[in-house]
Amino acid sequence: MENILLVGLSRQVSLGREMDVVANNIANINTTGYKADGSLFAEYLSSNARTGSSSSRISFVQDSGVWHDMSQGVVERTGNPLDVAIDGQGFLVVQTPRGERYTRNGSLQINAQGQLVTSDGNQVLGDAGPITFQPKDQQVSISRDGTISVREGSSNVDTVRGRLRLVDFANPQQLQKEGAGTFSAPDGAAPQPAPKAAIVQGSLEKSNVRSVVEMSRMIEITRAYTQVANLLQQQGDVSQQAIDKLADVPA
Amino acid sequence: MRALSTAATGMMAMDLNVQVIANNLANMTTTGYKRQRATFQDLLYDHVSRIGTQTSAQGNILPVGIDVGSGVKTVGTARLMTQGTLTSTGNALDVAIRGDGFFKIQMPDGTYAYSRDGSFQMDAQGRIVTPKGNVVMPAITIPQNSSGLTINAQGQVSVIQQGSTTPTVLGQITITRFINQAGLLPIGDNLYTETPASGSPQDGLPGTDGAGDLLQGNLEQSNVDSVSEITNLIAAQRAYEMNGKVITAADQMLSTASNLMR
Repeated sequence: MENILLVGLSRQVSLGREMDVVANNIANINTTGYKADGSLFAEYLSSNARTGSSSSRISFVQDSGVWHDMSQGVVERTGNPLDVAIDGQGFLVVQTPRGERYTRNGSLQINAQGQLVTSDGNQVLGDAGPITFQPKDQQVSISRDGTISVREGSSNVDTVRGRLRLVDFANPQQLQKEGAGTFSAPDGAAPQPAPKAAIVQGSLEKSNVRSVVEMSRMIEITRAYTQVANLLQQQGDVSQQAIDKLADVPA
Repeated sequence: MRALSTAATGMMAMDLNVQVIANNLANMTTTGYKRQRATFQDLLYDHVSRIGTQTSAQGNILPVGIDVGSGVKTVGTARLMTQGTLTSTGNALDVAIRGDGFFKIQMPDGTYAYSRDGSFQMDAQGRIVTPKGNVVMPAITIPQNSSGLTINAQGQVSVIQQGSTTPTVLGQITITRFINQAGLLPIGDNLYTETPASGSPQDGLPGTDGAGDLLQGNLEQSNVDSVSEITNLIAAQRAYEMNGKVITAADQMLSTASNLMR
């Protein structure tokens, strides 16, 4: 009989975690380059738990994973020359203290040394390492293939300062979110060049969280949670009655 | 339940977003104002089960892990240093910078501040000053009874002195550039000061080495774009509401759980 309680409990634990994932999506609805997460559930068959004498086994639910929705977010025009959006599958490469990380957040800055950095101050890598601007550079232009050119001083000719490195992965689901808009690649997942991805200057990729989907998922979660709770309540009542009736020994 | 605190970080971030947008809108007609933009990043993830963990002795690995995020944080309110629209005022001491760079202003304590606001005045000694009375560097004194004040694109200030028919050059206004303009610290009154993030100031002459040139009789309007600010405001307000709904839903779930016990 306790199986019902345990099955219900397994559902409530996984619903609680799904709620956390939905809450994180909604909190990041305005985060540049954010990719929404979704929850995966799996049936878990217990080898020992069985329904009474029959041979059918009890199945519990467990959350088996969180997948990343890697679809393209809406590209919003900002007009800022150092804002870049990636059109298509691909990532910018960022040098962090913990090694190379990958991001789709193209809200870039220039630091005091003239290097191209993310809002966190981590260097954005080009094909030949960090991209450095000179003090007299002006009119930064970034082409679709990521080539960064400037006009130096009063010169009328473009000088190339580097080319943004764009990479992709055979299986982007393997990437792990590290916070701050970055992903890390597990061992064995080597970044490959992403020739199909293009850079759009003066734009930012908004978060790809779809508010309607998240809101309806949240309603679904709260309703399912209440239903399971009612089920557990009724099960409790059944046990209570059984105890009352069976133990009601006439004096 | 983590969802409660996650949604709270979302509400705090959107609250700050609305503050930044409100400041932009309040400064829509401030000369030389550069709009700010709040940028957000996702917070750390709790890796409940790691991608790539072995699930069997045969070397099967988990294709997806369970990463539960803990919300959003504000990473900065970056200033967008794009050119504002120039409007003609006809006033001889109104100067706009077309291109990169800042006017260098001497503060009362002798330090320097930098500004894009070129609505200058003349003080009792005939010096060119900001509306607050701080001297524009290098200090240029305009002699009494002179006429025909001209400031050319290269910043040369010239007047026609009494009894003369040819203009006399009094000095040249300099323009200061920074490698990272967005790293300057705003101190109010349309002024910015140098920080370790901005890099050291590079004084130059207008129209040379990448510095913008000057336009007399013009002022640079703020670069706030009202339409995009209003749409950002709508998005921020709706995001705030949705985070509020998450808190309500998480609260309901918690109350359901606590009602289980009678």
